[in-house]
Amino acid sequence: MAAAAAAQAQRLLLTVGNPNVGKTTLINALSGSRFEVGNWPGTTVDRLSAHCLLQGRSLELVDLPGSYSLAATTPEERIARDELLRLRPDVVVNVVDAGNLERNLYLTLELSEMGHPVVVALNLVDEARTKGLSVDAEALSRELAMPVVSLVASRGEGVDSLGEQAMSAAGAPRSLVTYPDAIERASEELQRLMPERSERRWLSLAALAGESVSLPGPVKERAEALRAELGVDPFLEIAGQRYRTAHDMAQRVLERQHVPPALTEKIDRFLLHPWLGLPLFLAGMLLVFRFTFLFSDPWITFVGDVQTVFAGWIAGSSLPAIVQSFLSDGIIGGVGTVMAFAPVLFFLYLAMSFAEASGFLSRAAFIADRVMHWAGLPGRGFIPLMLGFGCNVPAIYATRTMEDFRDRLRVSLAIPFTACSARLAVFVLFASVFFPGHSTLVVFGLYLLGLAIGLTTAAVLGKFAPAGLSSGAMELPAYRLPTLRLTLRQAWLRTFSFIKGAGGAIMVTVLVVWLLLNVGGPRPEDSLYGQLSQLMVPIFAPMGVTDWRLVGALIPGFIAKEVVIGTLGVSYLGADPVAPLTFLAGLHQLGASFLHACWAFLNAVPQMFGLPQFSPPEPEAPGGLAGALAPVLHPAGALAYLVFLLLYTPCVATVVALKQEFGTRWAAFSVVYQLLVAYVLGLLAYLVLK
Amino acid sequence: MRTLNMLEPDQKAQISRLSGSPPFVRRLVALGFRPGADVRLVRRAPLGGAFQIALGDSFIALRAQEAGQIHLELS
Repeated sequence: MAAAAAAQAQRLLLTVGNPNVGKTTLINALSGSRFEVGNWPGTTVDRLSAHCLLQGRSLELVDLPGSYSLAATTPEERIARDELLRLRPDVVVNVVDAGNLERNLYLTLELSEMGHPVVVALNLVDEARTKGLSVDAEALSRELAMPVVSLVASRGEGVDSLGEQAMSAAGAPRSLVTYPDAIERASEELQRLMPERSERRWLSLAALAGESVSLPGPVKERAEALRAELGVDPFLEIAGQRYRTAHDMAQRVLERQHVPPALTEKIDRFLLHPWLGLPLFLAGMLLVFRFTFLFSDPWITFVGDVQTVFAGWIAGSSLPAIVQSFLSDGIIGGVGTVMAFAPVLFFLYLAMSFAEASGFLSRAAFIADRVMHWAGLPGRGFIPLMLGFGCNVPAIYATRTMEDFRDRLRVSLAIPFTACSARLAVFVLFASVFFPGHSTLVVFGLYLLGLAIGLTTAAVLGKFAPAGLSSGAMELPAYRLPTLRLTLRQAWLRTFSFIKGAGGAIMVTVLVVWLLLNVGGPRPEDSLYGQLSQLMVPIFAPMGVTDWRLVGALIPGFIAKEVVIGTLGVSYLGADPVAPLTFLAGLHQLGASFLHACWAFLNAVPQMFGLPQFSPPEPEAPGGLAGALAPVLHPAGALAYLVFLLLYTPCVATVVALKQEFGTRWAAFSVVYQLLVAYVLGLLAYLVLK
Repeated sequence: MRTLNMLEPDQKAQISRLSGSPPFVRRLVALGFRPGADVRLVRRAPLGGAFQIALGDSFIALRAQEAGQIHLELS
């Protein structure tokens, strides 16, 4: 009983508003930064929610995805509409951009027809002022017959007052738009056919406008008949009348002063300049890329150092060798593999949420649209594809900034073909051994090949499954400085959700590979891994790769592509013994490594703005490995091996990312498809060069 | 009859009619395009292919072919 009473006392508040009006900032301010990030069920649209106390009562806040209208023209709008109809909110907070009142009021008018109590949060009043716009909140409140609160959510101004209004608001609003007689009569007729519920007016109008709302069969049939009787497209009539009402209201409450062009227009003059635009765009891309990878790199190194110290401590213990190996290579190795992704994801999320909230991302998409259009993709796909060259995993999560699911999927299936930095390490080693003097050319060629295969994949898939409405139409929002605290919190929550969601699968893969390597016998060739590799040799023989050690190294490559080098080192040169560490010596190393990471992190700031380097780095491999590799491969076989390595199955973290975003079937498709492409092209490379 | 993709940068006009598939027209209307609304072509994208359009108090990006679905009255 007590639980039921508590549940009853809890108020459900939904925030609704156009994209880019500061809804997230408002949720952050209302909840005191205690919000959570998840997905809307069955989708990958972000869902923000919070439980908090407001005015001494418990409150559940749910942020509905940004919507221009409830006509459900995007997946986000469909969720917003369906949730408004499904959940019975105690109050709807409609966040409105004071600097773009007329268009924002369109949604407010629609909400008045839905019948839920509405409080209008008139946000961004400071930004509106710089555009010469000031809104009379009291007059607007009279026009709408709804409470209206002026806000600057990013500074917390007006948030308390909004909280008060939201906790006391009750009662259905007055329906604010009067339509032409024929539509009003048709709407009333439909409402009489529907059961008593507050959304009836909105539902009847949606049915007349021809939107896909779920209604009983007879109502639907009657609506179709009425639509035909009304003649001209009732949607345009209804929308037109809403806009006219919004326009008239805005005229009455808005004071417009002539001011010099706002900051946004000034910045656009540079960033979208006919000649400056492209170089600035490329520089911006480089900055996002470098920010993500330069700032995360010191921490990835630190994670590696922590692993080494733990392995040293384990080596110094008196445990049997097999247990030591299980602990340091299996458990610590697995946790380390997972943790090494955390920094890169965290910094990527920081960069992406800054780019998105600041307005830069929309401009980048605007410029890249032309290029991506060749592959039938929207401009927003450019940034994820480019990030793939650093690491495929964050690149796949970055596709979330794209609207259409099918477009996202196509870009995400293209990403694993782009040569991530883990593959670079292997390319550099092989190229320097087998193509001395031409190694840069070979590495560059591999990068181009990966990108070409990826884009072709996306283009061909687009022919089979065209996107529902792949439109380039999008708003270019005003430039804004996002709140640091909010950006950090979002990045942290998403990184944590990756570790929670993907950690298990990566651990299992590492442990399986450990088992393969350690079951059977002490020497690599006796182990299960060695036997399996030897079985696989006939498959790779046609492309000139006949040494089982080379074939075998592809198996642990599934953990991460750079592991290939380590495995080759072990199987050709034998394992390096781990130096045992005393507890104190280990602590000392940890401290030193941490300081080193901090120092490298600070050094990343000037590096971000340095000139790009075009020569590939020196191979980082055990000294003798190059010499050991030379006799076992013909250059043609080496090239085939590299092509295969570039294109074959994405690493386990990428597969998990694909699964999280698109489901098991697409992740499996990606693995099989890439193996096939890799095999065919590897074979081709061998035959051509031989 | 002219369409939005034929405007020169900084030229203003009024929308007379929208054409295209119903979902596309709904999307345009949601963004604020509607008969009677004033529009201004701000600029073409640096690489071409798309347009930046001032509509009411907002800026909208449209592909050239999409802008061709927005018919204008000469003002």
